[in-house]
Amino acid sequence: MTAALALEKASRVFGNGSGIVDVDLELSSGRIVALVGLNGAGKTTLMRVMLGMLRPQRGRALLNGHDLTTVPVAEWARVGHLVEYPLAYPELTARRNLELSARLRGIAQVSAAVDRAIAEFALEQYADRRVRALSLGNRQRVGVAAALQHDPSIIVLDEPTNALDPAGVIRLRESLLRRAGDGAAILVSSHHLDEVARIADRIVVMNAGRLIGDLAPDTPEIERAFFEAVRADDERATR
Amino acid sequence: MKAAIWAEAVKLVGSTVGRVASIAIVVGISVISASMLLAAATTTDPQLLAKLGPVAAGDWHGFLLGAVQITGAGGLGGFAVVLAWMFGREFGDGTIAGLFALPVRRSTIALAKLLVFLVWATAMSILLAIVLGLVGTMAGLGPIGSGTLEALARQAALGVMSVAITLPVAWAATLARSVLAGVSVAIALVVVAQVSVLAGLGGWMPLAAPALWALGTAVTPVQLALLIPFGAIFVALIAQSWRRMQLDR
Repeated sequence: MTAALALEKASRVFGNGSGIVDVDLELSSGRIVALVGLNGAGKTTLMRVMLGMLRPQRGRALLNGHDLTTVPVAEWARVGHLVEYPLAYPELTARRNLELSARLRGIAQVSAAVDRAIAEFALEQYADRRVRALSLGNRQRVGVAAALQHDPSIIVLDEPTNALDPAGVIRLRESLLRRAGDGAAILVSSHHLDEVARIADRIVVMNAGRLIGDLAPDTPEIERAFFEAVRADDERATR
Repeated sequence: MKAAIWAEAVKLVGSTVGRVASIAIVVGISVISASMLLAAATTTDPQLLAKLGPVAAGDWHGFLLGAVQITGAGGLGGFAVVLAWMFGREFGDGTIAGLFALPVRRSTIALAKLLVFLVWATAMSILLAIVLGLVGTMAGLGPIGSGTLEALARQAALGVMSVAITLPVAWAATLARSVLAGVSVAIALVVVAQVSVLAGLGGWMPLAAPALWALGTAVTPVQLALLIPFGAIFVALIAQSWRRMQLDR
């Protein structure tokens, strides 16, 4: 079966030496993959390469089997993503921003999709406020809603729980589990190991630009196991 | 393309930059032009009258030449600020990441920005010409004859042609990923236009040709037509930059 989104031996290294090296990763329908790593490990770079925001210097990024350099533009309609900053313009209301995202993604029933997204992420009382007047957490909710409102079959979210309050975290968790149950392929990066352990089918550890192994989601004391994996990798690298 | 045009129009209409620039261009240039007319009508100071140039004549011809001079630099600056913001703000606000991985090409988004800018700049130019006509009438410059109508049409056309001149601003804001870089290039464009006129290039410099033409200076149709390849080159460069863009900075 063709992976929904994949990296094959993908490398992208910046002038300062940071980046990703020889990364192989596949996202498959119905599975949630969590990407964990320390700051600067390369998580955001990996997601940018996967989404075509950066071109790999070596290796390939594939969307439904198409190399990203030749993928038909319509294929992106099935992808929802939030990497670093939400697609939320400060001068527009939350509702207008959702409408904008929905139109850019080619949704036919824009109003209905926007209403559903507002309800799913409890944005009713903020819907008609300008985004610049919202708290950071509510801006993030708008960004997550914009990324998911078109029911994408491939979802890539970079630290989506950033700034979210506990209620927002729970809503996001339920949304992702439901979407994975409906067949979506999902990649989420996070610093919150306990949170990703609740939803992920697979937890991939990243360190110094490389994928260094997996953690089973039911690993007891998962934070300790994570730090042990990173420490062992650092020691191997310095030998 | 329709979705991208809608998105860009909504952003411009909802923005403070768009509203302030619209008012500054239409009201600002009209008020300055009217003030010059008022000064000419109420002073006997020969030095001030000399400084007011053609406006000192106190007729439609002088009034609209004064407006063209102000629009040549001030209007261009206003348009350029909006264009720099339309392109540079995506980087400043971080929204550029959300414009990747969409079923709309980034080059299409860039062209939609330019199209919305063209429509807005055309609307502002026509509105400014109408307001100048009203101001002149209220100031008692007399009925609007065919010569005055032609001058008002030139005033509006100057605004529309300024769109082509400002295109390097969008490219600079894209390459530098900054609104301020675009604004800096706008200032440079005004300076280069002025220097080129002083250097005798006249209508052969596309940056200066529209204002010289609107002022009634001899500018040939060929010189004016150079705006088309000038604009086309920058549209192509902007579309190419957006198509090949990477978030590597």
